[in-house]
Amino acid sequence: MNIPDDLYYTENHEWGKVEDGDLRVGITDYAQEELGDIVFVDLLPEGTAVSRGDSVGTVESVKAVSEVYAPVDGEITEVNPALEDAPELVNQDPYGKAWMVVIRMTDPSAARSLMDSRAYEEYVKAEAK
Amino acid sequence: MRTPLFQEHVRFHGRIVDFHGWEMPVWYSGIREEHLATRTSAGIFDASHMGEIFVKGPSCVPFLERIQTRSIEKMPRHKVCYSFFLNERGGIIDDLTVYCVEPGERYMLCVNASNTGKDLAWLSSHNGEGADIDDASTGTALIALQGPDASRILNSVTGIDLDGMKAYTFACVPTGPYGELMVSKTGYTGAGGAEIFLASGHAPKLWEELTARGAVPCGLGARDTLRLEMGFPLHGNDIDETTTPLEAYLNFAVDLAKPSFIGKDALARQREEGLSRRLVGLLLEGRGVPRQGCACEKDGVRVGIVTSGSVSPVLGVGIALAYLDKGVAEGDEVDVAVRDRALKARVVHPPFTGGALCIIPKRT
Repeated sequence: MNIPDDLYYTENHEWGKVEDGDLRVGITDYAQEELGDIVFVDLLPEGTAVSRGDSVGTVESVKAVSEVYAPVDGEITEVNPALEDAPELVNQDPYGKAWMVVIRMTDPSAARSLMDSRAYEEYVKAEAK
Repeated sequence: MRTPLFQEHVRFHGRIVDFHGWEMPVWYSGIREEHLATRTSAGIFDASHMGEIFVKGPSCVPFLERIQTRSIEKMPRHKVCYSFFLNERGGIIDDLTVYCVEPGERYMLCVNASNTGKDLAWLSSHNGEGADIDDASTGTALIALQGPDASRILNSVTGIDLDGMKAYTFACVPTGPYGELMVSKTGYTGAGGAEIFLASGHAPKLWEELTARGAVPCGLGARDTLRLEMGFPLHGNDIDETTTPLEAYLNFAVDLAKPSFIGKDALARQREEGLSRRLVGLLLEGRGVPRQGCACEKDGVRVGIVTSGSVSPVLGVGIALAYLDKGVAEGDEVDVAVRDRALKARVVHPPFTGGALCIIPKRT
């Protein structure tokens, strides 16, 4: 299972990458493996204000549907246009081409309250038991 | 519970889930890949959790005539038919396949894994005729080899000529390495191929040989999307004790002409009174996936409910089976409530895609 060191993580298996005052958000390798073949990704539009824990969209696999939650408060400033036609990117490249949204953080230091890669690895291990 | 193939599932990195108490693989490489492999080459499925019940003895025929919906009196040796156990209200206790091993003497019933215990209790408590009922489920494995390459792969491993067999027949073939195989030209995928019953102890070896020749291991996920693409009902989802075969368009598996069977009076009455709902297919017109339990509306009025839903890996769109009120016709558009959205869907008659073998005759 791939858990890059330079990202932050949530208990709902989103990752966040800090880019100045923005947080680029997607779902983790573990999440895509659990969901299986992703067939649709639906995301909220740019300009939507979100609070931490709000849904920013849904990821649908053959077997199940899962919400994607905002890891931080802020405003969605970018939505990945590629996922509408190529939802399988979430399975193929969850940390790269399959980023989902960019959130302009209300508090630029908010990401620090999320898990780092080591904490997330422990969290996933515990959950898998 | 584990099937005799459990170690094979682990070896092939199957993702194991609980299925009615059975530890079964839901997928190995992925549902989509496994589904498409079955449609285009060959998939192999462990169905060993299913129940095999033998009904034998001098009174087996009158007992079977009364307890299930097909007339078996004239059923030839080595023929298979799809059938139901019904309750007095015509509700479906289980759907099953009946195998005529020796006419008048010995039949095998293959039933759903989750219903095996319930079926056995039902059979025992309604066995006024005193037929011999023998549950062979534990010692029997079932491997489904499905798809256009199934016949070639089976032939290369066992020498069996599946192409020379008619659909809905089976053959009992002694083999050295795998013991006696009961090879049935049936399936639950619409892709053609065989279902192979054999003694549990021989199952891992046969699984290994078939996969070594290119059969792709498929889990319950692909089994579900394959059957859904064909419109085959799943007991517990699309049919159950509150639905009848007539409502589910499965009249072909009910011989209303036979003198008497449990549930016949209720079905005859229902046929006379007319049906208030029918099981139909829904083809989504846009993005999204209908799921079991989603409500269906037409012109703002609730007309039914989805009983099975997924996305068709072949078509790339959402498909479903749903009970809709009688007034809704093929070709109509309905709204399916998926979370907070109303998704447009077209009412269609399955199969959703063309299959090589369809157990459900064209509806008239």
